Amino acid sequence: MTAALAVDTLHPDPVETRALDATLACIARHGLSKTTIDDIAREAGCSRATLYRYFGSRQDLVAAAVHAEALRVADLARGVAGAAATLEDAVVGVLRVVGRELGEHAALRFVADVEPEQLLPYLTFAGGDRFLQDAAEAIAPCFTRFVGDDATRAAEWIARIGLALWLSPTAPVSLADAETLRGYVHAFVLPAIEPSHVLKVSNQLSKG
Amino acid sequence: MESPAPDQRELVYAGTYECVARFGLAKTTVDDVARASGVSRATVYRMFPGGRDQIMRETVGWEMNRFFARLAAEVEDVPDLETRLERALSFARRSLLEHEVLQKVLATEPDALLPLMTIEQHRVLRYITGYLAPLLAAERVGGRLRDDVDVEIAADYVARMLLSLIGSPGRWDLGDPAEVRDLVGRELLGGILSSRGNE
Repeated sequence: MTAALAVDTLHPDPVETRALDATLACIARHGLSKTTIDDIAREAGCSRATLYRYFGSRQDLVAAAVHAEALRVADLARGVAGAAATLEDAVVGVLRVVGRELGEHAALRFVADVEPEQLLPYLTFAGGDRFLQDAAEAIAPCFTRFVGDDATRAAEWIARIGLALWLSPTAPVSLADAETLRGYVHAFVLPAIEPSHVLKVSNQLSKG
Repeated sequence: MESPAPDQRELVYAGTYECVARFGLAKTTVDDVARASGVSRATVYRMFPGGRDQIMRETVGWEMNRFFARLAAEVEDVPDLETRLERALSFARRSLLEHEVLQKVLATEPDALLPLMTIEQHRVLRYITGYLAPLLAAERVGGRLRDDVDVEIAADYVARMLLSLIGSPGRWDLGDPAEVRDLVGRELLGGILSSRGNE
């Protein structure tokens, strides 16, 4: 990873922002494999040279665009969780907002529908481990106020569930369906992450 | 019209698997498959009108199912559901890491394999869910299931999470019995098994 990837979101450079927006627009239109640095330059209204100066390579540019989107969605998630009254509201809220953002994301939809082989290495096996770690880090702050030190553990489990539901269209619940999602979270997810449950489990174990 | 015997389909899957192990996914041709399986090209094309793509997809599904059938055999003699799942997780993870063909194809041709596994996973999920549902129903009979739990959806939840953990354990060391016990008791079964008389 080069320093060029650390997009400064507090003081966004207009050229960087245009380049990242242009990258996503091109991918939404033609997909990842067919998007060239020239396409992006044309869309961004700047030169290839400028892009290479800011980002180093096409790969770095795509990575930066993905990273910026991830930060944006994580921010939305933290906002939703911050406004939640209960842990259940926070979990449902986070899953819904992330589900919505990713479900309606034009560039992501194109790649997922047409070029899944470009995406899956980042979401499965070792790529899945990395994704879960990054996602857990990003959304753990959503749950600290409810579960304290267990926040990262809870965050990873929620990210895992979100990923599993997103990757599988045959799941009994959809991230888009608020009511069934809440029922699912209430039945299976909440007891999995609520710290009070630790007491019940140790009681169960000691019953042998 | 006579349909080919079920074991002929098995022969094609086994032959394809052998070819993938030797030549890789992309380089395996229908000719290779016919030769390795001892089934004529004509019969192969008749059985698999979708051609090479269909053969590859179904062979991936076949091996995924075999993996889980081996897993089921491994966890047959266990005293309870928790132990069964604990043993399943650690055995499955180890088997996956030691699965030579899978690891080789993941390293060399992940873009060819991963979409096939994702498509076929719904079959595997059905298999695992079908395996777990009766076990959960038995827990209900034993009074260990939470009152409001829907056995089918619970089995589906556990199946999905097992699949996810086996492929990408994340923070969990599935070789550590204490961690696995914690994971199974809390994340997997926390909302499913009741904690009798602990309220």
